[in-house]
Amino acid sequence: MRTRGARLHTLVGAYVVDAVSPADRASFERHLLSCEQCQADVRGLREAAARLATAAAVSPQPELREQTMQAAERIRQLPPLVDGQQGRLRAGQRWARSWQRYVTSLGLNAHPWLARVAAGAAVILAVTATVFGLQMASMQNRLSADRQRDAAIAAVLGAPDRTTLTAQVSTGGRATVVMSHRADALVFIASGLARLPASKAYELWLMGPAGDSPAGMLPPGRHGMTGPMVVDRLTRGDHLAMTVEPATGALRPTSSPLVMVGLAP
Amino acid sequence: MVGSDPADGARPGPGQRAGPQSLEVCLAAVARGDHAAFRAVYDQAAPAVLGIARRVLRDPAQSEEVMQEVLLEVWRTAARFDPSVGSATAWIMTVAHRRAVDRVRSEQRAAERELRAATASIAYDDVTEAVESTLDQERVRRCLDGLTDLQRESVTLAYYGGYSYREVAQLLGVAVGTVKTRMRDGLIRLRDCLGVE
Repeated sequence: MRTRGARLHTLVGAYVVDAVSPADRASFERHLLSCEQCQADVRGLREAAARLATAAAVSPQPELREQTMQAAERIRQLPPLVDGQQGRLRAGQRWARSWQRYVTSLGLNAHPWLARVAAGAAVILAVTATVFGLQMASMQNRLSADRQRDAAIAAVLGAPDRTTLTAQVSTGGRATVVMSHRADALVFIASGLARLPASKAYELWLMGPAGDSPAGMLPPGRHGMTGPMVVDRLTRGDHLAMTVEPATGALRPTSSPLVMVGLAP
Repeated sequence: MVGSDPADGARPGPGQRAGPQSLEVCLAAVARGDHAAFRAVYDQAAPAVLGIARRVLRDPAQSEEVMQEVLLEVWRTAARFDPSVGSATAWIMTVAHRRAVDRVRSEQRAAERELRAATASIAYDDVTEAVESTLDQERVRRCLDGLTDLQRESVTLAYYGGYSYREVAQLLGVAVGTVKTRMRDGLIRLRDCLGVE
């Protein structure tokens, strides 16, 4: 027991910088409940680690501030925890309780992000969806909203199996795909795509063993953002690809893909 | 509604220690649903949250998402912040780092991991980022310089690179047990050098 405790205590640094597996994390946090020295160490080392974060500070894009404030308007706050037992606990125990509670209340404790979402951590999903929703919504307004597309986007963003993938576009910019096999659709957005002459446009494709099928022409970018674009009827194992085509569109890709995103699993 | 914004007046410059309106004070007001206080929290915390997300995730769009998620989690759970557990900054940065790392570990595909391994060596000296040069940053850099190479690399690969201690061990070609103790000793030295507790 003693050696196990010592082994766990060595983990304190790795624990503080999140370099541990979920299993290590869980056993260290159990150990933390009864180890006052570890609690003191974690507390001090977390302050040190936080300084590594503040030293890396970068200025967010100004518009993110207002977006975040707007999102907060829609999120109900959790009430404080009321615990009649607290007064009777020793300081160390109280600390460990608080620690555990806030870690678990954030849903950060057990499993990786997607597993948690799949397991039904609805709140995290709600927060994520709100952020996404807002970004989508503001884009939406600029691009004259289409109600059907709204519904399709909402279905993807709200799907429990939703996954987000991003990829570099070889000619510049970045593509983000939010995909749900359950909703059988994906939402495509790109930022910073290279400007094309008026005679050309970006076209999306679903490429798979069964052949390549056109998945839609992207509208011209606005403020550096292109999309959102909904693509449905997905096949697992297919790839979503983007090429440059004549502005009128093509039935088969006539140039090589600038980005490919795999749609499995 | 968030019309006038009294907290803005007390808004500290980037990297400055919080003045009269400490993050703890703002958080207590946020817990009561004060939107102006949330703005002040955002101004103080968002740059560091975005910074660490950028270091770990690299991708600007994903980092912005994580930053917003973390700030909204702070909004949602402010009433549960317990100052006896540590400073508000440490709380928020713990959440931010964990969120970024969780996302990397769950979404990373093999190819991306390899790419990251190739770029990991520049994590510490990454000067291409528009990092706000502050006294804080200088101090952290000086303290990092005071670590042994193995301590520094273990800490920064884990914290800025988002690697697990097993991955760090592999990247550095040393035993897993060695990496664990170097992470601990490096952080202890950093803590003592920075004079935080």
